[in-house]
Amino acid sequence: MAVTTYSGAEQYNFEIVKKFAVMSIVWAVIGMFVGVYIASELAWPFLNFDSPYISFGRFRPVHTTSVIFGFGGSALFATSYYVVQRTCQTRLISDGMASFTFWGWMAAIALADISYMLGHTQSREYAEMEWPIDILIEVVWVAYLAVFVGTIMRRKQPHIYVANWFYLAFILATALLHTFNNLAMPINLFSMQSYSLFSGVQDAMTEWWYGHNAVGFFLTVAFLGMMYYFVPKQAGRPIYSYRLSIVHFWALGFMYMWVGAHHLHWTALPDWTSSLAAAFSILLLMPSWGGMINGIMTLSGAWDKLRTDPIMRFMIVALSFYGMSTFEGPMMSLKEVNALSHYTDWTVGHVHSGTLGWLSMITFGSLYHMMPKLWETKMYSRKLIEWHFWLATIGIVLYIVAMWISGITQGLMWRAFDQFGNLQYSFVESVAAMHPFYAMRAIGGMFFLVGMIMMAFNVFMTIRQGKRESAELEAKLAAKLAHA
Amino acid sequence: MNINFKHEWIETNIGLLAVLTMLAISVGGLVEIAPLFFINKTIEKVDGVRPYTPLEQRGRDIYQREGCYLCHSQMIRPFRDEKLRYGHYSLAAESQYDHPFQWGSKRTGPDLARVGGKYSNEWQVQHLIAPRSMVPESVMPNFPWLKTTLLDTSDITDRMKALRKVGVPYSLTDAEYKANVDKFGETVAKQLHIPNAQLSLIAQANFGNYDGDRSNITEMDALVAYLQVLGTMVDFSKYKDDAFVNDR
Amino acid sequence: MDLLMWFSKPENTKPLGLVIFFVTFIGIVIYAYGSKKRSAQLESYRNIPFLDDQEDTKDKQ
Repeated sequence: MAVTTYSGAEQYNFEIVKKFAVMSIVWAVIGMFVGVYIASELAWPFLNFDSPYISFGRFRPVHTTSVIFGFGGSALFATSYYVVQRTCQTRLISDGMASFTFWGWMAAIALADISYMLGHTQSREYAEMEWPIDILIEVVWVAYLAVFVGTIMRRKQPHIYVANWFYLAFILATALLHTFNNLAMPINLFSMQSYSLFSGVQDAMTEWWYGHNAVGFFLTVAFLGMMYYFVPKQAGRPIYSYRLSIVHFWALGFMYMWVGAHHLHWTALPDWTSSLAAAFSILLLMPSWGGMINGIMTLSGAWDKLRTDPIMRFMIVALSFYGMSTFEGPMMSLKEVNALSHYTDWTVGHVHSGTLGWLSMITFGSLYHMMPKLWETKMYSRKLIEWHFWLATIGIVLYIVAMWISGITQGLMWRAFDQFGNLQYSFVESVAAMHPFYAMRAIGGMFFLVGMIMMAFNVFMTIRQGKRESAELEAKLAAKLAHA
Repeated sequence: MNINFKHEWIETNIGLLAVLTMLAISVGGLVEIAPLFFINKTIEKVDGVRPYTPLEQRGRDIYQREGCYLCHSQMIRPFRDEKLRYGHYSLAAESQYDHPFQWGSKRTGPDLARVGGKYSNEWQVQHLIAPRSMVPESVMPNFPWLKTTLLDTSDITDRMKALRKVGVPYSLTDAEYKANVDKFGETVAKQLHIPNAQLSLIAQANFGNYDGDRSNITEMDALVAYLQVLGTMVDFSKYKDDAFVNDR
Repeated sequence: MDLLMWFSKPENTKPLGLVIFFVTFIGIVIYAYGSKKRSAQLESYRNIPFLDDQEDTKDKQ
């Protein structure tokens, strides 16, 4: 096997990785702050302040876009560029194109956030960006695919490591989803407004085919790519089973695309479609758990690391939440359960157990692993990592428990009948019953946000420290040379 | 299958890996989505559903702009409690002219699929300006700017033309107009005629007086006009209880 | 069109989906776990992430 000599920054393009990594933290702080704010708006509605720009309906897409595409997206760009270079042992094929993906992606998210607050939206959940921004994203994405595939093509290592398959599937699927879900007719070339090409039931199916697969490929497959590189690296031992990863890759890629319609149970969508989706949702449990087992068992024989290494703890907790939410998901896609859970906060809780528990935690772990390597130093404070871990964990638990209780309560109140066969509760009684849980959810979110701010501070200090150390090193070298 | 097949071929060939991945991920979407466009049964045959009038469509634009869909669904499910609370379950036909759909995914507030006619215009206006003055426990934001912002009607023909391109039967030519007269009746067809759009919008706003102020046309006029038509197009008293059972 | 109509019937698509998925899945499983030699070969790829380490080994956090 080709082993090249390692010479860090000269061999690899780490500049682009650094930029994306820092911005992912910036977007996380912004997006999570907005998240806490809109959660508070639901608990204490005066916080809408009669302002159109920050009223819940316009502010909520700012939260989802900033955390999914800003935080998650940037973290994926950063880690995929890092992993593809290090596992192929080659430099990115084009620094210019990579740089374009950075500026293009940042512009798309900033423009999207601003345009939502000004009232421009396609009103398609998780794809609210209007058509000009969609086109920008499309261009950036093609450049991303070119950089990624181009880099793999000039690899020095004959085998393509499994993490890269996952990243590739994510890039391809996202291109497919983004293109078909955003087909729309602009009202004219100078207007942000457009109308979807599809209507009613077809439009709903297209949107939720996108919606669930954005979760499947953007928010799961890609982060599994992250998992397949960073968990073994942090554990210092190779992945548990390579064969399992092959089976799990193809099964996951094939099955995810079928399940979108479980978001539309009991609607005007034809019954066969949602039944098929429910069946595949159940089957999906197997490959999902395959991935989880592969990640967790990597640590087998080195369990003591869980006690000593807070970064490892982030990763293992992430995998546990992955296992939990991929069990909860198929259960909620059963039509009987869905009849109760749909339209309630239970769904919101489920999404956040996936996004906070699995995605954010694996990202934090990966970033804590990668940051010191990029700036050739150690993390500034290990204590702060410990604090971040506990605040995040407590925050998630508060959030999910609040949403479980409120979701199930809502569902049961809506369908409760009194002894005469009339509805027992008016709708607004269910709203009033939610108040304590909305407050609890907002507090859980605050915990998570505070942890995030600690991470931002820790990373900021780490970068400063790294820069200082490299400056000192250079000074020493210069002094030595001068004496010699 | 070739017996000498090696997964390494895929693992060492980025093109093959990409193509096979693409294949694996495309099947599901194709099998589930494509047929929806071809099956006649996807959308029920039912009388009364018509495209939105210019004023209602502008109201719908505002409904989207303010993100109402994030807390209100427009999709009643076929359950006993939903029938009692909201009315007959939603038909696919009822959203056939909805570009985009507004079914929603969350009920922080109640479903709005059949809110039309349930409350008076005055109630809707006051509730939109200050929800808690009508429903103390509500968590809905106030939307006072709707009443003070004049409705932008300048691009209404552009909007209707765009919708026409994606398949909504707004009429541009005489032939299309005549077809609409046959299909929806003369009163409706007039309102769907693009050259008349501006006039019919103003006429409907003045006649309906949705925001309680005839001196101008505000965004409130449009939004209330839209809310008041939701779910009212199909007259379910004309159909037997099990008329749509086989369409699911 | 006829083909698409065929796909639209649940009594066709359900078993079809099941058969396609199952055959492919079994194929992959047999491939991955079928032969000892191939298994050993596949498992050797686990070490790729560690190939470009030199500095990593000494300062593990």
